[in-house]
Amino acid sequence: MALRSAQGDGHTSSRWDGGAGKTDFDAKRKKKVAEIHQALNSDPTDVAALRRLAISEGGLLTDEIRRKVWPKLLNVNSSEPPPVPEQNLRQMSKDYQQVLLDVRRSLRRFPPGCLPCSSASLPAPRPPTGMPEEQREGLQEELIDIILLVLERNPQLHYYQGYHDIVVTFLLVVGKRLATSLVEKLSTHHVRDFMDPTMDNTKHILNYLMPIIDQVNPELHDFMQSAEVGTIFALSWLITWFGHVLSDFRHVVRLYDFFLACHPLMPIYFAAVIVLYREQEVLDCDCDMASVHHLLSQIPQDLPYETLISRAGDLFVQFPPSELARKAAAHQQAEKTAASTFKDFELVSAQQRPDMVLRQRFRGLLRPEDRTKDVLTKPRTNRFVKLAVMGLTVALGAAALAVVKSALEWAPKFQLQLFP
Amino acid sequence: MLKVGIKFQVARAMQFSGSARAADENVDYLFKIILIGDSNVGKTCVVQHFRSGVYTETQQNTIGVDFTVRSLEIDGKKVKMQVWDTAGQERFRTITQSYYRSAHAAIIAYDLTRRSTFESVPHWIHEIEKYGAANLIIMLIGNKCDLWENRHVLFEDACTLAEKYGLLAVLETSAKESRNIDEVFVLMARELIARNSLQLYGESALNNLPLDSSPVLVAQGPTEKTHCTC
Repeated sequence: MALRSAQGDGHTSSRWDGGAGKTDFDAKRKKKVAEIHQALNSDPTDVAALRRLAISEGGLLTDEIRRKVWPKLLNVNSSEPPPVPEQNLRQMSKDYQQVLLDVRRSLRRFPPGCLPCSSASLPAPRPPTGMPEEQREGLQEELIDIILLVLERNPQLHYYQGYHDIVVTFLLVVGKRLATSLVEKLSTHHVRDFMDPTMDNTKHILNYLMPIIDQVNPELHDFMQSAEVGTIFALSWLITWFGHVLSDFRHVVRLYDFFLACHPLMPIYFAAVIVLYREQEVLDCDCDMASVHHLLSQIPQDLPYETLISRAGDLFVQFPPSELARKAAAHQQAEKTAASTFKDFELVSAQQRPDMVLRQRFRGLLRPEDRTKDVLTKPRTNRFVKLAVMGLTVALGAAALAVVKSALEWAPKFQLQLFP
Repeated sequence: MLKVGIKFQVARAMQFSGSARAADENVDYLFKIILIGDSNVGKTCVVQHFRSGVYTETQQNTIGVDFTVRSLEIDGKKVKMQVWDTAGQERFRTITQSYYRSAHAAIIAYDLTRRSTFESVPHWIHEIEKYGAANLIIMLIGNKCDLWENRHVLFEDACTLAEKYGLLAVLETSAKESRNIDEVFVLMARELIARNSLQLYGESALNNLPLDSSPVLVAQGPTEKTHCTC
């Protein structure tokens, strides 16, 4: 059964017109729809064009288009019959209990706008809060089925809390049948690292966050290092592709368009861009772990998504993973040897003035050369942001492809089978 | 039935060194408390209720770690309670472990309708001993006591376990029906203040407390309110 978003063909991204007139918006949109269909209908399908269109302003616009394009981005043949589950999957699965617990309390992931109907032209009933219970329960059962089936067919994959946030997004957009195939592909590629028996690889990917921030804004980086905030505030962003933290489903699917078209490390660039965007809030915050962690983990719901997406694209081109891999590895080493949190803890206890201690440490850490670096780096980024989105994303596609080989040298543990 | 078991460990309190007087001039104490326990026992609902007094039916699972802060006033002292809420799934433990060492106290939560979550409690205690600072104060809470019809853990069993491991107290709570939530944190704050005072001013501050380490099973504070009538 295919599901249609009730927002459907309307305003997939509320910011799409960016202040332009309504006519202008309609024209741009119409043009984009035509381009997407052209790419879909060419033989063979123009996947490169679809990638570009998924990244560029507004993404794939409607769930109807997503149902056609997402399989192409993942190289899944949507006409193939879906995998058939074994009987008694629920009895046999070691993960069933955990999956059940997580799916049962995922009510927030079933927004009022997502209603299945056979035709987009039918007036969709919109309850004021949430989806009708009966329908939601049906979808929750389907969600459990998909997760258990993918896990059963791929015993090397391990369920993690948050995986269901990814799967539910696919279920709501493309329906159970196609979602199973798409999720299976995604699980063995883009999110494969998160499904290891341990979280070591996930932590390793998080280690890319601070080096990206350092490249753009060393002052912010040093502040965060002094606060010893770590990167766990971004864990849920990364492993759910922001599905767990964004309340507006339209924003979630817009980001999925972007991530499906990009390198698997793009979510960490996007995480960095969010932190950088909130620079002033962070610097105004007390320089201690709890304050900064708390501030950053509460993601603002009114982020300028299109701007941030293009900025993440810029950063990826400027500082590709290959360049950051060494720094990320160094970061990991530093974390292992630091063990300074405990020292701070003792120091704070002794001095009874925790914030003062940290502030002094922070002042001491600001080296003059960092300030110079700051001045040099910032304008460069601003210039990139001003570039036209479409032009940029073409470059992004190429750059993403170009770094695959070099990234492998530095990060052999990664699954870098990005593009089918 | 008595629903609060308390054990004062005055002898061990002498070693306690963690509580800090906060830099914030409006606050006398800042205490960091880590909240742990199996998946879906209601940790986040407990901490959300503590923060806002509201129970959220649509609470999602927690990924990683999050913080919640609330200030309490206890005997004229302003106490800032910073509660670190953690993910329950086993694979997140390598992440949550690194937050143990800066905590002053730990609250272990179990779901009294699921026996397995209670049986994990010794494992959680072991985690605290392994990764936390020495002599961390540990409290046990049996959540979801509104679901008394489905109870699978007797309060007596929890008290026995608490006594065996030298925990501070056991309380049965319900975030849904607002039972004993504030009591948990107030009790914890009082104990932390007491130990901090003990460290700063010697034993005089605790003269009114029993000095033996045998468990004291009493209903604390506003007695009627803290009782679970289930």
